Amino acid sequence: MRWVVRSIVRFASGTASNRKSSQRMEPFFFWVLAVGLVASAIGLVVFRNPVTCAVCLVVTLVMEAALFVTLEAFFLAVVQVIVYAGAVMVLFLFVIMLLDVKEEARQSLPWAKVIWVVGIGGGAVIGVPRIASVFPGAGQALHWGEGKGGTSAAELGRLLFSSYGPLFLATGVLLLVATIGVVVLCRKDPEA
Amino acid sequence: MIAYAPYLILLLPLLAAVSIRLFLYPFPRISVSVSTLACLGSFMGSMALLFWGSSLGQGIVPALPWIEWGGFRANFGILGDPLARGMAALVSGVAFLVHLYSIGYLEKDPCRSRFFAELSLFVFSMLGIVLADNLISMFIFWELVGLSSYLLIGFWVERPAAGAAANKAFLVNRIGDFGFILGILGAWALFGSVTFADLPGRAAASSPGWAVTAVGLGLFCGCLGKSAQFPLHVWLPDSMEGPTPVSSLLHAATMVVAGVYMLVRVLPILEMSQATMMTIAWIGGWMTLLPALLACQQNDIKRILAYSTLSEIAYMVMAVGLGVAGPAMYHLTTHAFFKCLLFLAAGSVIHGCHDEQDIWKMGGLGKRMPFTAFVTILGTLALCGIPPLSGFWSKDAIFAATAHHPGLAAVSMGAGFFTSFFMLRMILVAFGGEPKNDAARHAHEGSIFLTAPMALLAVLTLVGGLLPVESYLHFQHPEAHETWTLWISLLVALAGFVPAYFLYRQATKDPISIPVLREKFYVDEIYQRVFVSPQDAFARLTDAFEGWVVRGFLVRGSGVVARASGQGLRLVQCGQVQIYAAVFILGVFLLLGWLWRQG
Amino acid sequence: MNFGEVTLGHYLALSLLLFLIGLAGVILRRSLLVVMMSLELLLNAANLALVAVGKFHGLPDPQVAVFFVITVAAAEVALGLAILVAIFRIKRTTAVDQMASLRF
Repeated sequence: MRWVVRSIVRFASGTASNRKSSQRMEPFFFWVLAVGLVASAIGLVVFRNPVTCAVCLVVTLVMEAALFVTLEAFFLAVVQVIVYAGAVMVLFLFVIMLLDVKEEARQSLPWAKVIWVVGIGGGAVIGVPRIASVFPGAGQALHWGEGKGGTSAAELGRLLFSSYGPLFLATGVLLLVATIGVVVLCRKDPEA
Repeated sequence: MIAYAPYLILLLPLLAAVSIRLFLYPFPRISVSVSTLACLGSFMGSMALLFWGSSLGQGIVPALPWIEWGGFRANFGILGDPLARGMAALVSGVAFLVHLYSIGYLEKDPCRSRFFAELSLFVFSMLGIVLADNLISMFIFWELVGLSSYLLIGFWVERPAAGAAANKAFLVNRIGDFGFILGILGAWALFGSVTFADLPGRAAASSPGWAVTAVGLGLFCGCLGKSAQFPLHVWLPDSMEGPTPVSSLLHAATMVVAGVYMLVRVLPILEMSQATMMTIAWIGGWMTLLPALLACQQNDIKRILAYSTLSEIAYMVMAVGLGVAGPAMYHLTTHAFFKCLLFLAAGSVIHGCHDEQDIWKMGGLGKRMPFTAFVTILGTLALCGIPPLSGFWSKDAIFAATAHHPGLAAVSMGAGFFTSFFMLRMILVAFGGEPKNDAARHAHEGSIFLTAPMALLAVLTLVGGLLPVESYLHFQHPEAHETWTLWISLLVALAGFVPAYFLYRQATKDPISIPVLREKFYVDEIYQRVFVSPQDAFARLTDAFEGWVVRGFLVRGSGVVARASGQGLRLVQCGQVQIYAAVFILGVFLLLGWLWRQG
Repeated sequence: MNFGEVTLGHYLALSLLLFLIGLAGVILRRSLLVVMMSLELLLNAANLALVAVGKFHGLPDPQVAVFFVITVAAAEVALGLAILVAIFRIKRTTAVDQMASLRF
């Protein structure tokens, strides 16, 4: 476990720059996080209780935030945790509590669903590696610690307020409209 | 501006018709006065044109430009030649007398505003035909005359027979007019002009013989329809369903002779083809005889006169076919006088006997309506060509023209025999003997409006032969002709009176019965079998086609298909949003796979 | 321990797998709430792919796109849940297969 802690510290401090990739910790993290991600996602789809599902979703989102870290997207990782795992999940939980949703009733085996599951699952097993490998440069290893692909919050902020300024403003308007929409939709008596 | 004054002759009746129809309809007395005065105005104008127009020479009236399109040119003009001026005076004069007569004849009819409006429309159209300076405007007025004829035959809208007769007249005339318009187009194609003034010059230009014959026969078709010659003669006897003034004015004196007038107008074209001329002459020749035969077995006083009209018009047509336009127009003029007189007298009889038209139910009218009887005998003598009445002079001129055509002379003179026979038959049965029923017993002369026009026409019938027609018709009385035609025709006509006198002097019912004549040679039945029935069958066939194929299969079928496909597609709309999503994703996968395969 | 090279393909495959799982959730689950959670999975799969490709090319722009996606997702969740609440008030259920009023 020592090398795990050490590598985390080294990883976080950004000093793991000139090691060979086979000796680095990123592959290890990737596989751990990937397995956890897939497992919690499957849990989301499988569990019957909405609260369990919500917890699974939180785990998924946090795992993904960690994957963002392995891709050196620190700012996004933080946003993912705060906005997604925080705000959005709280919304979900509020609604679950508000509606007092029961467990989904157990259904008789729906053949259509079985076919879909088999189809998607089979497709995934056969197709996913193949499809992923089609992508140009899919076989190349990712390079870490070269300082390329500015990922600092400062650089992102500069981009957001310069090149993507208009889009940023439009997003603000979108959020405002969504807020108004929610208020309108959730009024108790539309006539009043 | 004074040069345009002749247009007033046309405009006055039109204004009368329009103003009656639009404003004066609820006021019959005013309508009648307006229409009659307009006709009087037209008559005065025509007379002025007749007497003073000659000093102005040809083309006295400036033509109004009307159609100019490419090489085609048609003006709206008024012809100023003696023929047109004389004809206009004749038409408007007779029309004025018939207007006067109608005032008395229809004095109790609540719809007489309509009648007089239609009569004014007719006068306008007929004067338009007479004065038109080209074939196109003549054709337009020709159709307007057909329309007024249709309206006037069907004037008594409450009688189904009148409606049927109006339809028959209109439809039969359409057949003739179709040939007429083909002839007009052919004339334009061949000669490059439809103006009468240009025709004599252009017609001389060389054209293929068959084409000229076709054009001539096409124009003759118009005459066949309007002048009721075989095989389009069937409408005229039926048109007697209209009021008697209409029968008198349209279907005896003026409208039906429009065909003859038109033939005279296009004579330069007709004369270029010997075949056309012979066709016209022989159709005319036989049509003198056949209606005269039919008239011998008719019992309706107006139908008898209608058949005699067919016969007399055929004389004119035959004269045109023999190339002698002058006698044709001469006979047209005198015929207008005495036939109008006969019809007005018949109308007076019908009026006096309370709408009784069957001569076998009259009888003894000579004592009760002496004036009518007198003018009827006068008209009959003129019709049979007894000197010195007007009919003698004109018929003699026509017979003279047949001197070199023994066949035509034989049939037309034979027609004279039968004409005398059936006219005397009519007079003896209707005016002689004893009254057959109460209506005839209490018959009486009509008002001054009925008798005055008859008196005027009687005078014209007497002296019509002395009118100076030669000067305005440009023909000489045949002086050097062989006089044998004169004597033979006169003898044959007089001979016709003899059997009629002995057969019908005391008859209370018809002593001879010849079904084939009474049934009009079964022409109507043949037309029914040959044309009407197949057409009805075809109409039923197309109706079935429309009902089953168009309406049933195409219209309703497309509706059924749309509905059924809608019903089918509705099943796809299960309402389950997740299935929609699944199908959507499936589509995306298929599309991706296809793109991938594409490369 | 050696876990071998981690390539761009690994990240993309993971993203695809996540997407398929989310898809299964959208199509198969009855509860509208869980369907919406599965929709979040779809968005996150796309985010992951974007970030991986951005890393691969050394570009910051995909991260900006992910930032916007997260924002829009927040708005979408807020509106979707509002609609869900509105429907629940009428139907007293969150089952998707009950929401077929527009069917013939």
